[in-house]
Amino acid sequence: MTDSYAHSAGKMMTRAALYGLVSLALYFLLYFFEDTILEFTSRGGWYFIAPVVIAFVFSFFHGAFTSHFWDTLGIKAKK
Amino acid sequence: MELATNFIPLSALDVTYLLVVGFIGGLVSGFIGSGGAFVLTPAMMSMGVPGIIAVASNMCHKFPKALVGAIKRAKYGQVDVKLGIVVGVSAEAGVLYGAHIQQMIHQSFGDAGSNLYVSLAFVVVLGIIGSYVLWDAMKMRHATDDEAEKVSRIARWVQSIHIPGTMVYFKSLNARVSVLFTIPLGFATGMLAATVAVGGFIGVPAMHYILGAPALMASASELVVAFVMGVGGTMKYAWSGLVDIRLAMIILAGSLFGIQLGAIGTTYVKPHMIKMVMGVIMVLVLFSRAIAIPVYLSELDLIDKLAPHLPGALLNISFVVLIAALASGAAIVFAALWRGISTSRHEAALAVTPATMFAPDVVAMPTSPQLSPLGRFERFLLATDGSEYSAGAVRESLRMASKCGARIRAISVVAGGDVELHAMGEQLITKELNTARAHLDEVQQQASAAGVACESEATQSSQVYQEIVSQAERMQADLIVMGRRGRHGLARLMVGPSTVRVIGHAHCNVLVVPRAAKLVGRHFIVASDGSRFGDAAATTAARLAKLCHTPITVVSVIRPEHSEERKREAHTIVGRIVYFLKQEGVVVEGIVPHGRPDEVIVQTANAKNSDLIILGSHGRTGLERVLLGGTSERVIDAARCAVLVVKSA
Repeated sequence: MTDSYAHSAGKMMTRAALYGLVSLALYFLLYFFEDTILEFTSRGGWYFIAPVVIAFVFSFFHGAFTSHFWDTLGIKAKK
Repeated sequence: MELATNFIPLSALDVTYLLVVGFIGGLVSGFIGSGGAFVLTPAMMSMGVPGIIAVASNMCHKFPKALVGAIKRAKYGQVDVKLGIVVGVSAEAGVLYGAHIQQMIHQSFGDAGSNLYVSLAFVVVLGIIGSYVLWDAMKMRHATDDEAEKVSRIARWVQSIHIPGTMVYFKSLNARVSVLFTIPLGFATGMLAATVAVGGFIGVPAMHYILGAPALMASASELVVAFVMGVGGTMKYAWSGLVDIRLAMIILAGSLFGIQLGAIGTTYVKPHMIKMVMGVIMVLVLFSRAIAIPVYLSELDLIDKLAPHLPGALLNISFVVLIAALASGAAIVFAALWRGISTSRHEAALAVTPATMFAPDVVAMPTSPQLSPLGRFERFLLATDGSEYSAGAVRESLRMASKCGARIRAISVVAGGDVELHAMGEQLITKELNTARAHLDEVQQQASAAGVACESEATQSSQVYQEIVSQAERMQADLIVMGRRGRHGLARLMVGPSTVRVIGHAHCNVLVVPRAAKLVGRHFIVASDGSRFGDAAATTAARLAKLCHTPITVVSVIRPEHSEERKREAHTIVGRIVYFLKQEGVVVEGIVPHGRPDEVIVQTANAKNSDLIILGSHGRTGLERVLLGGTSERVIDAARCAVLVVKSA
C-alpha cells in the first residue's frame, strides 16, 4: 500500500513538473516574441482567432499544471 | 517592431501586480463563480492601460479561467452544463443590449454620465441583491447541519409553472423549468456584466433564488455562463484588435492558481459560505461605487462643485475599498479552506489512529469495577410539538420502543396558561390544542402500525419543560424522547428551549433526536469523564448495545492542559469501561483523543458513522450551567446523530 501510494505520488509530481515545464516554455515564448505576438493578435478581423487559440492553449497546459500543483502540495478536494 | 500605440510596456512590478490580483480574483471566482473582474479592469487602468484594452484583455483572461474552473467543479458534480449554456447564450444578448445602452448614455452625457450610470447600477443592484444574499447567509449560519438548503417560495412557483413547448429539464433544479424564465434571467445577467463587469452578481442569486438551484451548483454553473459570455466578448473585442494578449495571459497565470484553490474550497464548506463571500464582496463593492457618486454628480453639475482635491481623494478611496472587497472575499475563502482542511484531516486521523487505541487486557483493573445499575427502557415519554423538528423523535421513539418492547406516552404541550395568553385569545389556544390532538392521533396510528402500545395527551402549560418533566415523573418514565431545534450559540442560551431545560430538570434519561437522524444500531459512542455519570452512560450503553448487537467506541477526551496524572487517569477510565462492556459481551474499543471534549466527541461520532452518542449528565441547570457550560448541550447542538443523556439520580 505504501509502495503504491509512493508510486502515485511520484507519478503526480512527474506530471506536475511536465505540465509546469510546458507552461513555463509557453510564457517564455510569449515574453521572447512579445512584439511579434502582440502585433499578430491585434490585427483585428479574422485574426481574432489568434488570441482565442492562445488563450485555450495556455489554459490547457497551465490549468493542468496548477491542478497538479495543489495536488502535489496535498491540497485536494474533500472526498 | 514597435508596440502598437494602445499597448503599454510592462515592467516586472506590473507583472507581479497582475499576477497577485489575478490570483486573488481567481480564488474568489473559483469559489463563487464570478468576481475579480470588477477589480482587474480598474487595476489595469491604474497601470495606464486604456479602458477599452483593459476590458478586452480582462474578457480574454476570463473565459479560459472560467473553463478551467468549470471543469474542476464539474469533477465534484457541481456543474449544470445545460443551465450554464442556456443562461450564457441569453446573457450574450444581454451583453450586446447593455453595451448599446452604455454607448447611448456615453453619447448623450459623456464620461461623467456613463460613470454615474455604472455607479448607480452598482448601488441599486448590489444594494438590493447583495444585502439579501448577506442576510440569507447570516440566517443560514444558524441552521443545523442536517437542514438541507431550502428551495425559495418563488423558485417553487417558477418550477410549478408549465408552459407547453418551452419546458426544459435541468439537473441542478431536479425539475423542468420554462426557458421563458431562464432567458430573461440570462439577459439580465448579460446586461449587468456589460454594465458592472460582473454578471455573476445577478446570475448566481437568480439561479439560486429564482430557479431553485443549490447555491453550490448555481455558483459552479455561473462559470459556464462566464465562459460562454467570455468567448463571445473576446471574439468581439479581438475582431477590433483590442486584446492585449500579454496582459490576459499574465493575469491568467495567477488566476488559474487561484481558481483551482477556490474550487477545492467549495468542497469543504457549507452552502452559506458561498453566499457569505458573495454578500460581503457585493456590499463592499457597493460602498466603493457609492463613494465615487458625488464626483460624477459634480461633473454633471447636478450638485455643487467639489473642492479641487476632493474628486481625486474620493476616487482613490473608492479604488482602495474595491481592492478591500476582493481581499475580504479572498480572506474568507482562505479561512474556510484552512478550517475545512484541518477539520477533515483531524477526522481522518481520528478514524485511523491506532496509537490512541489500546487493548483492555493490559489495563490494570481497579479494586471495584462495579458500575451504576442503570439501563431500563420500558416506559417512554415522547414530547412532540408536531413540527418538522419533532419528526425524528417520533420516528425513532417508535423504532426503539418496538425493539425494547416499551410503551409510549406521547404528549404535546401547548404554551399557554398565562393570564396574558388567555387574554390574548382563548380561541388561539383551543386551535393549537386541536392541531396538537390531530398530530397525536397520527402518532398513535403510527404506533399501532408498529405494534407499540401508545397513549397520548395534548395539554397546555405556561412552562413547557416543567409539564414534560412532571409528566415523566408521574408515569415514572425511563426515557424522555425529544426533537432538537436548530438554534446555536447565544440565541439558544437566551431562548432556553425546552430540550435543554428538560435535560437539566429531568430525573430520567433524555434522548434528543435531530429530525434527519436514524437510530438503527450501526455504532454507538460512549463518552465518559470518569465520573459516576460516565459510568451510568456505560451501563445504559451496554443494555442498548446488547439489544441491537451494536459495536461501541468508548471516548474519554483529554485537554492539552491536563496533567500527566489526569491523562493516565483517562486511559484507566476508558480501560475500565471497555473491560466492563467486554464482560457484557459487547464489541468495544477505547480511545483517548486530545482536544475540546464536545468537538472531539462529535468528530469521533461522524468519523465512525455512529447513530447514537451516549453521555452522562451532571444535571446542572440555571446559572451554574451558563457559567460552566455543558459539554452535553454542545454535543447535542453539533451532533448529526441522536444523543442519549443518561441521568444518574
